[in-house]
Parts: sequence; C-alpha cells; structure tokens
Amino acid sequence: MKELTAEDTSLLELVDRLLNKGVVLAGEATISVAGIDLIYLGLNVVLAAVETIEKTQERRAS
Amino acid sequence: MTLLAHAIAAAPPALVAPDGLRGRPLAWSEAGDLGLWATEWAPDLKLERPDALEHHRLVERICAAQPCLPVRFGTAFATSADARASLDKRAAALHEALGRVAGKSELALTLLWRGAAVPPATPSAAGPGRQYMEARRAEFAAREARRARAESMVETILAELATERQFVWHETCTSENVAVSLAVLVPTQLVHERKADLERVAAGFADVTAVLNGPWPPYTFARID
Repeated sequence: MKELTAEDTSLLELVDRLLNKGVVLAGEATISVAGIDLIYLGLNVVLAAVETIEKTQERRAS
Repeated sequence: MTLLAHAIAAAPPALVAPDGLRGRPLAWSEAGDLGLWATEWAPDLKLERPDALEHHRLVERICAAQPCLPVRFGTAFATSADARASLDKRAAALHEALGRVAGKSELALTLLWRGAAVPPATPSAAGPGRQYMEARRAEFAAREARRARAESMVETILAELATERQFVWHETCTSENVAVSLAVLVPTQLVHERKADLERVAAGFADVTAVLNGPWPPYTFARID
C-alpha cells in the first residue's frame, strides 16, 4: 500500500472536486472540450498526482 | 468562440479582474437574474493539467467577490446564447443552490489510515484450501472492521460539529489509504473556528492521520437536483 502524504491527499481531494463536483450544466459539454475527452484529461491530472506520490516514495527509499 | 464555464452567480456581476484562463478574457453571460462567468476560449485550444488548477483559482477569485456556484471543470458552450439557455432551463434549482452556499465555504477533512489493515493469522496446521478460505475470511473481516471504524469516526465528527446533515457530505474507505473523506459547508466568517474544531476532533482518533483543506469554494454543495 502506498502511503499518501498530506500534499498528495490535498491535491487528489481538490482534483476530485474539480472533475467530479460542481454544477453540471450540460451533460454533453462536460464529456469533451475542443475534442479533448475529459476522462482522458481526468486521468492525466490524476496521473500527475500519482507521479508526485511515486517521486515521494522514491525520495524516501533513497 | 467557445465559452469555458467557471461559476454561476446572481446578477449583477461583481467587479472581478477581467483575466480568465491563460489570461484570456473573462466573460459574463447574463440570463434573467443569473449569470455565468466563463473564459472566452478557442475551440482549437487543448485543456492541459495546469488549466484545472487555474480554473480552481479563478473560481476562488469569483467566489470571494460574490456568492457563486462552481461549475464542473471542462464545461463549455459553443455560444453565449447556449450558456444563457442552459441557465434559464435550471434557474429555479440554481437559485436554490445559490441560497444554500451564500456566505459559506467548504472545508475538506481526509482521514488516512496509519498503516495497513492486518488480518488475524490463519492456523498453520490447516490444509491449503482451508488456509486460503480462512485468509479470505480474515481479509473480509478486517475490511468490514475498518469500514465500521470509519463510520463511527464520521458519527463522532457529526456529533461534535452539530451541523445540519445537508451541510455535510462524506464517503468512507474509498481506497486502501483513505478512511474518511468528508466535506462540510461552514459560514465563511467562522472558517477558522470550524477548522480548529475539526482538527481537535480528528486529533482524538489514534489510528488515522488527518489532512484538513480549505476554505474552498463550495464544490461539493453546488449540486442541483
């Protein structure tokens, strides 16, 4: 199990809110913007957070 | 021109710096007594990771200027008329949601387990089939025990906060690390007191580490039914 730092947790909580909370005004419009699939974008943002976690783990291990 | 939505507020618009995402113009599209803050976006511009966080900072700026409902990141409209039509269609629900969040901010409390769940050891004299089933049963029991513990922590927090249930949202055990993810909507002028309350309650739980965030715009409570 990866240990989450406070910084990782804060980022993940915020990203979750940006992508999954807030008013949904137009279901179809939230799927993609300018041809970019938001599921991909969401994964990208979450991946950024996971990269941070992994770097933290590497720093601890070294 | 595309409009990339940030937040909904009541008309008239407050004075907000005119810079939207990536320094592009921030526009106000008014529909009746509501309006939408959005960046004038170009259809060929791709959204990138930093745009999500810049959207958050923009929403914070707008919410500091007037009560507002954050719009889910990535919501776009082809024209201002489309945006206005979308507001018109949901005007009653949007007004209700605005009334719910006006003068309030969101605090986020995450409780992280200290260490992994340790299922009880299975008897070594048992055969491999029995050992496998016993191990599965022990894992399930450990998971259920954690879930029950997380729910009991939530109940303690709710009792201590003495806040209406409609202003609290929570999930438990969403991943191996996370015991509780909780959001609470508090009066903005009491944010520091409520943060201190949450810190004090969370400090009483020996088996978790607490991470407290906010004040944030009311993302979790901006839903419309």
